[in-house]
Amino acid sequence: MPAFQAMRANSLWFRLIASSAAIAIVLLASAAVLLNAIFVQALEHNFDQRLKAALDGILANVELGPDGNPKLTDQLSDTRFSLPLSGWYWQISKPGEAAKIVSSSSLLEQQLAPSPENLATRDKDGIAAFSMKDQQGTNLRAIEQDVKLFNGNTAYSFLVAGNFDELKSGITSFQHTLLGMLGALGLALLAALAFQVRFTLKPLRDMQAQLNDIRSGRAELLADDFPREIQPVADELNLLVQSNFEIVDRARMQVGNLAHALKTPISVISNEARDPKNPLAQKVREQLGVMRDQVNLYLDRARRAARAQSIGASTDVEPVLQSLARTLQRINIDRKLVIDVDAPQGLRFRGERQDLEEMVGNLMDNACKWAKSRILVRAQHLAAQGGDGRYWLLITVDDDGPGIPAEKRATALERGKRLDESKPGSGLGMSIISETAGMYFGALSLDAAELGGLRANLKLPSVG
Amino acid sequence: MRILVVEDDRDLNRQLVEALKEGGYVTDTAFDGEEGHFLGDTEPYDAIILDLGLPVIDGVSVLSKWRRAGKKTPVLILTARDRWSDKVAGFDAGADDYVTKPFHMEEILARLRALVRRAAGHASSELICGPVALDTANAKVTVNGKSIKLTSLEFRLLSYLMLHMGKVVSRTELVEHLYDQDFDRDSNTVEVFVGRLRKKLGVDVLHTIRGMGYSVSDAGVPGDAG
Repeated sequence: MPAFQAMRANSLWFRLIASSAAIAIVLLASAAVLLNAIFVQALEHNFDQRLKAALDGILANVELGPDGNPKLTDQLSDTRFSLPLSGWYWQISKPGEAAKIVSSSSLLEQQLAPSPENLATRDKDGIAAFSMKDQQGTNLRAIEQDVKLFNGNTAYSFLVAGNFDELKSGITSFQHTLLGMLGALGLALLAALAFQVRFTLKPLRDMQAQLNDIRSGRAELLADDFPREIQPVADELNLLVQSNFEIVDRARMQVGNLAHALKTPISVISNEARDPKNPLAQKVREQLGVMRDQVNLYLDRARRAARAQSIGASTDVEPVLQSLARTLQRINIDRKLVIDVDAPQGLRFRGERQDLEEMVGNLMDNACKWAKSRILVRAQHLAAQGGDGRYWLLITVDDDGPGIPAEKRATALERGKRLDESKPGSGLGMSIISETAGMYFGALSLDAAELGGLRANLKLPSVG
Repeated sequence: MRILVVEDDRDLNRQLVEALKEGGYVTDTAFDGEEGHFLGDTEPYDAIILDLGLPVIDGVSVLSKWRRAGKKTPVLILTARDRWSDKVAGFDAGADDYVTKPFHMEEILARLRALVRRAAGHASSELICGPVALDTANAKVTVNGKSIKLTSLEFRLLSYLMLHMGKVVSRTELVEHLYDQDFDRDSNTVEVFVGRLRKKLGVDVLHTIRGMGYSVSDAGVPGDAG
């Protein structure tokens, strides 16, 4: 199946791929968001643990100074609390009051002011964990605990904050990895999906190919090994193809019966009116001639109409040419005509045997009427034309008779035109061949033969 | 010349028989394939006109049966079936000619003459034996270039013998080919007609071969050592 066809919106392939891709994208995006949240949460938890350790260190070193306010006995070992505006801070204040009592030197004269919402939720140890920003806009992760020192009545708010931006690169790198992985997973899913859809739809493509074979005459019926879900469709199509054949057969038989039924009475009447001196008999004969031509014309049309609906017929060319040559040699046995047939084995006409016989038979019969001694019938493959996937064959019928001058050849193909009234024929021959060929999108043309007489070129569709 | 007409349409059959009689032939008729096959199989005809769409057994099968049984009688198929496939089937079954309906009676007669002549091995429509010339196409007989008048039966007798020129034709064979089925075969009329014909020709080409039959030849009596 060519890509441009598969990409069309109205195809099963597109529907399956598009719907599956949409679902995959939603699921993968949700997974990305969820995984990112879990990762950040784990990082925060880990960060909070470190802050708690720092808080424990502060609580272990705190004492009340002479002014009654808490102070640290030792500096914390983590030097980041000493670097100015490092993002790592601690601060002791009175709960509910904005002014700090004492803080890490990194905070300089600034203060950390968590909002009341930040402090609203606390864990079982009374610790609130939250994110905030310092005055430089650095993202901080902070914990706060209200502690009463030395069993006194005064509670102090201890706040420890860490620079959360330091983890940003870790998060970004995780997100990149995550997106990369999920993207790759998505592509792998799409590829697997495409394969799966192709595999699943293969029976349908097979059916399409087989229908094509039936239409072009390479097969007669669909196979019976389709999956359970579409075998009923194949069975129905087979019945349709068969009933089509039967309808055509029946129509042809009725037309044949009609031909027989009409022609014998015409013969009888025509023989009864043999008397050349009787003007009535003359008139009857003349009108019978008209009737005969009309019967032939419309029977021919009916036959062809019945056949126009038939699909999937194909005919070996070579045996048809041989049997026609054999028959025409018998018909013209007194004239000792040489009829040569040159046709490759396996060349097949995509159409009804009867049509091929009628077209070529009439062309050869015509050639026999005019030939002096020799007729040459050749069939060959035509090189592919137009790239439309159709194959053609060419049948040429040459004779060594007088031929037709170039300027009169077009006239010879017209209905009812006879260039020479002295030879028998209704004048329908060439135009009927031309019409029949046209039904198959083929063509009849006339040319000069190398043998000296007329060459008829019959172009017809071939199989393969 | 004795012709069998196998045609199921009674009117057409009658017309063919009438036209053939006018043309100097003797005819037998059959209206279905079975009867036609039996007659063609048992009677010595010079040619057979055979329809294809016959009751009981179709024409192609009848023809095939004759050919399989070794019958070489020329057969002209006369049918409404004008497809090339039918013609191919007809000729392949062993037909010698094929005419499609509707047809002109003159064409049937002309083709029959050609068939009979060809079956006897003559290429031209004119049969010549020394001074005697017989034209099968227009039923004319000349002796030394001078036209002579013959009755229908005399003409039939002469043309049969001339078609089989140089061969000895028995009296029985002559009776079989010159008269239809119902003719009394023991009759001596053949001898009478031969005598009259010999007198009309006036030249010595018609010989009686004692105990065997008759022969037409220019070079005396065939097989006669003397």
